Amino acid sequence: MLNKIVVAVQKSDFDLNTELETLKLKTEKAGAVVIFVGKVRDLDDDNLRYLEIESFEDLAKSQIKEICDDAANKWGLESILVKHRFGRLKINDNIVLVITSSKHRKNAYEASEFIMEYLKSNVPFWKKEVADKTQKWVENS
Amino acid sequence: MGKVKLKYFSRIRETIGKTSELVEIKSTNIQDLIEELQAMGEQYSVLKGRDFAVYSAVDQNIVADAKTSIEGATEIAFFPPMTGG
Repeated sequence: MLNKIVVAVQKSDFDLNTELETLKLKTEKAGAVVIFVGKVRDLDDDNLRYLEIESFEDLAKSQIKEICDDAANKWGLESILVKHRFGRLKINDNIVLVITSSKHRKNAYEASEFIMEYLKSNVPFWKKEVADKTQKWVENS
Repeated sequence: MGKVKLKYFSRIRETIGKTSELVEIKSTNIQDLIEELQAMGEQYSVLKGRDFAVYSAVDQNIVADAKTSIEGATEIAFFPPMTGG
């Protein structure tokens, strides 16, 4: 299973089509592929200029790998890919990509949500919203 | 104890004013270390976690208990609640 888990913490963007093509080379047993993309959104009460994402790269990568191992075992996945960006991002830029694949859809859906929930508050990334009127570190609600 | 590399992230980095530093420490757990660092300046009071929770990682392992031993550690990181995804 380990060779079917891909984790990256990177500054650069990712390309969805490339990742999906790569996935086909990794497994032929996946009948379901769930894709989650998190992206930068504008604020309700201010105009976002950019989102700064800070990361503790090595630790972030090892934390994500660990949760992917857990998810792979729990849901018997065919593959998992998680790519999380850091640095300065603009509105609509991609932040995170999670692709889970399994024989049937239920497992891939559940694992995707599980990984995203974990990423929200257990992996060392911090977001700062820099807008026209204010700038503040994002807090988990 | 000896010298350890301290790393700071996010709001803690901004308050302390640096990303990392090499410091000679005597403490053997996180709680004592935070007390010890207070002597280095007012800015280190951010580590007491009055305004937000302060997490730490010892040699890249997140620790849940401030009494966790840091003996033999080479790197200790401090950071606020994580907001990934």
